[in-house]
Amino acid sequence: MTGEPLLQVRDLSKTFLSRKGFPVPKTVAVRAVDKVSFEVGKGEALGVVGESGCGKSTVARLALRLIEADSGDVRFDGVDVLGASKGDLRALRRRMQIVFQDPASALDPRQRIGEALGEALRVHGLARGRDVRTVVERLLDEVGMPKVAADRFPHEFSGGQRQRLGIARALALGPDLVFADEPVSALDVSVQAQILVLMERLKAERNLAFVFISHDLGVVRHFCKRVVVLYLGRVVESGPVPAIFDEPLHPYAQLLKASSPSPDPDHAVAMAFQEGEPPSPVNPPSGCHFHPRCPFAIDQCRTVSPALRTAAPGREVACHLYPE
Amino acid sequence: MTFALDTAAPNAEAPPANALTVEGLTTSIRIAGRWFDAVRDVSFTVGPRETLALVGESGCGKSLTALSIMGLLPAAVGRVSAGRIVVDGVDMTAADEPAREAMRGDRIGMIFQEPMTSLNPVLPIGFQIAESLIQHRGLSKRDARKRVVELMELVRIPAAEERLDAYPHQFSGGMRQRVMIAMALACSPRVLIADEPTTALDVTIQAQVLALLADLQKQVGLAVLLITHNLGVVASVADRVMVMYGGDVVESAPMRSFFKAPTHPYSEALLNAMPRVDRATALAPIPGQVPTLPDMPAGCRFQSRCPLRVDKCAERPPLVPMASDPAHAVRCWVRAGA
Repeated sequence: MTGEPLLQVRDLSKTFLSRKGFPVPKTVAVRAVDKVSFEVGKGEALGVVGESGCGKSTVARLALRLIEADSGDVRFDGVDVLGASKGDLRALRRRMQIVFQDPASALDPRQRIGEALGEALRVHGLARGRDVRTVVERLLDEVGMPKVAADRFPHEFSGGQRQRLGIARALALGPDLVFADEPVSALDVSVQAQILVLMERLKAERNLAFVFISHDLGVVRHFCKRVVVLYLGRVVESGPVPAIFDEPLHPYAQLLKASSPSPDPDHAVAMAFQEGEPPSPVNPPSGCHFHPRCPFAIDQCRTVSPALRTAAPGREVACHLYPE
Repeated sequence: MTFALDTAAPNAEAPPANALTVEGLTTSIRIAGRWFDAVRDVSFTVGPRETLALVGESGCGKSLTALSIMGLLPAAVGRVSAGRIVVDGVDMTAADEPAREAMRGDRIGMIFQEPMTSLNPVLPIGFQIAESLIQHRGLSKRDARKRVVELMELVRIPAAEERLDAYPHQFSGGMRQRVMIAMALACSPRVLIADEPTTALDVTIQAQVLALLADLQKQVGLAVLLITHNLGVVASVADRVMVMYGGDVVESAPMRSFFKAPTHPYSEALLNAMPRVDRATALAPIPGQVPTLPDMPAGCRFQSRCPLRVDKCAERPPLVPMASDPAHAVRCWVRAGA
């Protein structure tokens, strides 16, 4: 990374409270995101990987202030995002956008595509009257959709086409950074590749930065330069993509890699019995959250939560097995 | 996991050797009042302890093939219009509904992608697993309960006895899929159809469920028809592979020869479109999308997206064995000669 990072996230935390139980409901606290830090440079793609419930989507929503963080610091191009006023936030959102996993539920079924894309332009005063249509058509063209799509409704499109429209909407305001939350997970392999190639082209042409959230290591390896691995709300490892995928350091990252299927019979999924599931974030294990599943756990792991330490230049790992 | 591959010619196998035989299956579905062939002339066999993977993208006919075998097509919009399905020696296509009913859940079991929508949310899971034991095997409630605990232990659900009366929402996704597997295996079927059994699960849980299935298969000698879109899963557990596109089987091969030499242009394109975790590769998307059934081209159904298209593709190519490897068959005019 050169110079000042575009997005800087420091010690971001969020605890959700929910009332559960019958007949006497109890309030339970879920620590969804626990002191997460990362940086994204201009035009850089950062991958955030982890399994369901590890807090990867929550991180994106916190950084965009779609939900409010409990503590931490988010700076976008030097501006304090968490402390920004309503007006400042509106200006920031022009530069930070999000693409969701399921474009079918992210688009209003009763709104024509032209209106869905044009609305943001109008709200932010970027185009008026007939110009809106011109900009919308240019956006559609940029994501490989015909102009006539502007007059259609979301249900008239296939999943892949809808994701192109979701991307067009995120691009409408000319952002510098896009949070992509599982953007290709709902798509078939052949369509998934089309969307990935499109996003790569946009990244290069617009010098777009991405925070790419995915559970699919193959997709992240392909799209991202650096990656952050989350487990139960905490960063367990971060570093450059080829290094982390070829030689993961944290035992969880190792498990994740060994479990990811690749189309090669000589590298089949490691199916050695690894029992245990990610524990509930409501009642996470003490010390290192991963210790009940970890084959290398030592006494220290059960009591002391390991801090992130530098394992190699640009690589950090939160594990007692590596010297601090 | 390695099994000896049975690559003998089909006619050399006596019928009881195969747990599942499908011959010339054609399934039609109704769209806007007209019938279209969504599965065309599909034939295969699955032997005991064998896993056949049926691979393809949405709409290729892989799930319809499974529903046809199970006899679960909704009659108003789907029907088996030709072919024969033989499960454990019983011709399912000739059987009447009560006879098919007796087979389902007893000789042939099925697990689905989303265990939450396949389990009844208001019934305890012990009751749901016991249902087929009481129905098919005439077990008393008490005996069924005992057997259910054994089954739950078999699929490694911890604290089985205590969780017998728990409801589906009290289980995680991986545990629910284990419940589904226990239900499917309750009557010790010979054939298990697994329709995207791990697609909704996280990768570490997927690995556990695949390992469990492979282990159970060895123990009880199950024939497994695995339906999946994930070629990585295929490489991990399958013995043989069949790739479907637009209702046609376009390639059929022993698993290792498939990955060594994917031959149909669609199989090749599918592998090149898949981002890999084990190495950095350039992605080559397949242009366009699968045509809808009413828009399917005559002849080879992949021709509109195929880089190797020639005039002859307007005619439907046959599925023919390769000269270099008779166990490896491909439906392509250009590639079949090789």
